Amino acid sequence: MDIFLQQLANGLTIGSIFALVALGYTMVYGVMKLINFAHGDMVAASAFVGLTIYTQVMGQATSLVAVIAIFFLSAAVMACVGIILERLAYRPLREAPRLSAVVSALGASLMIQNGIMLIWGPQMRIFPELIPQVYWDINGVVISLIQVLILVLSLGLMIALYLFVEKTRMGAAIRASAIDQDAARLMGINVNRIIAIIFIIGSSLGAVGGLFIGLYYRGITFNMGWQYGLYAFIAAILGGIGNIPGAMLGGMMLGLFQAFIAGYISSTWADAFTFILLILILIVRPTGLLGERVAGKV
Amino acid sequence: MAHNELILTDVTKRFGGLTAVDALSFKVDSGQIYGIIGPNGAGKTTVFNCITGIYKSEEGSINWRGEEIRGLTPYQIVDCGIVRTFQTIRLFSQMSVAENIMSGRHIKSKQSWWHGIIHTPASRRDELDNWHKVEEQLDFFQLSEFAATPTGSLPYGIQRRVEMARAMAVEPTLLILDEPAAGLNDNETLRLLETIFKIRDKGVTVLLIEHDMDMVMEVTDYLTVINFGKKIADGTPAEIQNNPAVIEAYLGSEDDDE
Amino acid sequence: MKNLERFGFPALIVVMAIMPNLLNPRWQAVAITFLIFTVVALSQDIILGKAGMFNMGQALFFGMGAYITAILNSQYGWPLLATIPVAILLPALFGVLLSGPIIHLRGDYLLVVTIGFNIVFIQVVQNNLGGITGGPNGIFGLDSLSLFGTQLTSQLAVYYFAFAVLLLTLGIMRNLEKSKAGRALHYLREDHLAAESIGINTRVYKIFAFALGAGIAGLAGTVFATQYSAVSPEAFEFIQSVLFFSIVLVGGSSMPGILLGVFMMFVLPEIFREFATWRFFIFGFAMILAMILRPRGIWPATFGKIPKFLIKESNHGA
Ligand SMILES: Nc1ncnc2c1ncn2[C@@H]1O[C@H](COP(=O)(O)OP(=O)(O)OP(=O)(O)O)[C@@H](O)[C@H]1O
Ligand SMILES: [Mg+2]
Repeated sequence: MDIFLQQLANGLTIGSIFALVALGYTMVYGVMKLINFAHGDMVAASAFVGLTIYTQVMGQATSLVAVIAIFFLSAAVMACVGIILERLAYRPLREAPRLSAVVSALGASLMIQNGIMLIWGPQMRIFPELIPQVYWDINGVVISLIQVLILVLSLGLMIALYLFVEKTRMGAAIRASAIDQDAARLMGINVNRIIAIIFIIGSSLGAVGGLFIGLYYRGITFNMGWQYGLYAFIAAILGGIGNIPGAMLGGMMLGLFQAFIAGYISSTWADAFTFILLILILIVRPTGLLGERVAGKV
Repeated sequence: MAHNELILTDVTKRFGGLTAVDALSFKVDSGQIYGIIGPNGAGKTTVFNCITGIYKSEEGSINWRGEEIRGLTPYQIVDCGIVRTFQTIRLFSQMSVAENIMSGRHIKSKQSWWHGIIHTPASRRDELDNWHKVEEQLDFFQLSEFAATPTGSLPYGIQRRVEMARAMAVEPTLLILDEPAAGLNDNETLRLLETIFKIRDKGVTVLLIEHDMDMVMEVTDYLTVINFGKKIADGTPAEIQNNPAVIEAYLGSEDDDE
Repeated sequence: MKNLERFGFPALIVVMAIMPNLLNPRWQAVAITFLIFTVVALSQDIILGKAGMFNMGQALFFGMGAYITAILNSQYGWPLLATIPVAILLPALFGVLLSGPIIHLRGDYLLVVTIGFNIVFIQVVQNNLGGITGGPNGIFGLDSLSLFGTQLTSQLAVYYFAFAVLLLTLGIMRNLEKSKAGRALHYLREDHLAAESIGINTRVYKIFAFALGAGIAGLAGTVFATQYSAVSPEAFEFIQSVLFFSIVLVGGSSMPGILLGVFMMFVLPEIFREFATWRFFIFGFAMILAMILRPRGIWPATFGKIPKFLIKESNHGA
C-alpha cells in the first residue's frame, strides 16, 4: 500500500510536468498539424536559462520574489525563443509538404539542443535549490513541498489555460484556427497572430515545465529535452493530439504509469513499457483517448 | 453468367444524425448507361462511395452479378470489375499521365511482390505488355502527347480524361463516373459524350452522376433521381423530364450551374 | 539531368570501385562508413521516400542485422558471411510483424510508434535480454571476413564487401522502380484512397515496403558489424534514425540526393573534425535552411520513368 501511495504521489508530480509540456505540443499540433520536435529542447533550455538567471541576474537569491522572478523571466525568454523559432523555421514552410516542416522541426531541435551544449557545456549541471527541502511523512509516504507545488501550480496553469481557450474570444479564435485555418482566416481571424500566441503560451508552459524538472530532479543535461519531450509528446498522443484536456489526461496517465512501472517492476524497462502502452492504445483507439475520429469526405 | 447487373436494395448510409442515403433501391442492367441525378447534397456521391467500398452502408444490400459486395474493401470491389472516378479529381499528381494510367493495370499485371526485387523474363514481358495496354488507353483517350507529363500540371479537362483512362485501364465491367462533365467546356463535354458511348460499345456498363441536365438527357438510358437520400423518381430521360416531382425538386432549383 | 544520370552514375560507380586503393586506412574507414550508411539511407528511402510512411526507427533494423551477425558469429561461431541470410530475413520478418498492427495509423502517429520501436530495441540490447547482446558494452572481437576458407583481414576486403552490398541495393532499387510493386508504393504515397480505388491492396504493399527496407538495413548491419568487428547499442540509437530520416528528405528521395545527404551527414564531419562539437548544431541549421530553400529536398526525385515508345514526337511536356 505504501509503495502504491508513494508512487501515486511521484506519478502525479511527473505527470503534471508531462502534461504541462504536452500542452505545448498539442496546441501547436492543433493549429499547425506539426510536431514541434524542438519543444522538448526548449523545455531543457528553460532549465538552463533559469539556472543562468539565478546565478547571473538574481545573485543567487532564493527569496519568494526572486523565485517568482526566475519563473517569469525564464518563461519570457522561452516565449521569445518560441516566436523566433516559429518565424524562422516553421512559417516559411507552411505551404510546403508536411514532411519538410517535420525536418525543419528536427533541425531546430538539434540546433537548440546543441546550442545548449555549446553555451553551457556537455556535462550535467546542478539546478539551484530554489524551494526549501520540506518533507512530510504521512504513514511512511514521503511527500515534498516541491511535489505539492508542482502539482498545484500545474493544475492551476492547466485550468487557467482551459478557461482561456474555452471562455475567451481569443480562445474561440484559437479553436476556430485549429478546425480550419482557411475558414478562420475568412472569418477575419489573424491566423499568424494566433500561431504566435500559441507559441508564446506553449513555450511558456514548457518553460515552467523545464524549471520544474530542474527543481525536482536537480541534475540537468543539454540532451534531456529529447527524453522529456518524447514522453510529453506521447502523453499528447495518448490523450488525442490537438486536444487540450487530452494532453492533461495523457500527461497524468503517463506519469502514473511510469511511476508504477518504476515502483513495481523496474525503471530500466520504463521506456519499453511506455511505448508498449502507447502502441496498445493506438491500436485500440487510433486517434488517442479523447481525439475524435476523423472521416474524411471524398 | 456475363449478366452484369448491379442491384441496390434499401441501402442506407448515415453520418451521425444525417441520413445521407435513405433506403435507396435501384437496378442497373447490363450494357446500360445509367444516370443518377439530384440536387447538391442529395447523397449521390455517398451512394457511389457505398458501392465502391469507401463507406460501408449501415443497411441494405448491394448485389453485383449475383454476389453481395457490401462490406468489401475498395480494392476488392475493383477485383469484381467495378471501377470509379472521383468528383474531385484524384490523380497521382506528381506522376506522369502514363504512370497514372499504368496504375489501372495493377490488378491485371501478373507480377508478384517479389518481382519488385528480382526481375524474371516473365515479369519483364508482363511489364512490357502492360505498358502496351497503357499505350492503347493513351490512344483511345487521345492523351499520347502528354504521356510523360506530370498530371498535376495539366488543364482540368485533360485531367478528367486521364482519370477515365486510368479507370478504363482496369478493363472494368462497370464504370462509375462521378460528375465526369463537371468543369468541362462545351467542346470537351461533347467529346466526353462520344467517349462514354464508345466505352459502352465495348460492353462496359456505365453508371454516372451528372449535374448537366442536357448531357444526362442525351447520354443515359435510364435515370434515378434522388433528393435528401431518397429516390423520388426513376424512368427514361423522357419520362423524367415530364415528372412533376422531379421538376419541382430538381429542375425547379436548377440555379446552381457549376 | 538526363545526361548526368546516364554518365555521372556509371562514372561514380567506377570511382567508387577504384578509390579505396588510393586512400589511407583512415579514409578507407570513412569510405566504408559512407557505403554502409548509404545503404541504410536507401533502405529508409523505400519506406519513407517511396511509400511515404513516416518511419523514424530505421536504425532498429540496421542494428538488428548487426546484432544478429555479431551474436551468430561470437556465440555460435558462424562465419560472418554465413550470417547474411539471417541478418536479412529476421529484420524483414520483424518489419512485417512490427508494421502489421500499426500500418493504418496516420502519419505522425506512425512516426512516434516507430521511434518507440527503436527505443525499445535499444533498451532490450542495453539490458542484455536473454544474456546474448552484451549489455551496454555490446559484443566485440568478431572474426574477420573469410571466403571459401581464405581469410580476408584487410580493410580493403571490407570495403569491397560494403561496395558489393551497395551495388546489390542499387540493383534492387532499380528493379523496384520498374515493377508493379514499386509503382504501387508511389501510388499509395501520392493518394492512398485513389490507390485503393484502382485496386491496390495498400496494406500489403506498405508491409512489403517495411519488410524490404528492414531486410536491406539488416544487411547493412552485417557490414557494419564486420567493419568494426563489434557492435554496441549507441550506434543504433534513435538519433541515427533521425539522421536517416532527414537524409532522405533533405536529399529529396533521389539517388543523387541521398548520396549527397549521406556525404554531408557522415563524411563532412570527418573532414572538418576540428568543428566536431559544432557538428549537430550545424546540421540542425542546414536542415532548416535546406527545407526552406528546397522544401522537396535538394535533389527531388523525378518521375516519368516510362518506356521510350510511349513518348511521342510532339511531346514537349517532359
Ligand atoms: N464523410 C462525411 N461525413 C459527414 N457527412 C458527409 C460525409 N460525406 C457526405 N456527407 C454529407 O452527406 C450528404 C450527401 O453528400 P454527397 O456528397 O453524397 O452529395 P452529392 O449528391 O454528391 O452532392 P454534390 O452534387 O454536391 O456532389 C451531404 O449533406 C454531405 O454533407
Ligand atoms: Mg457529389
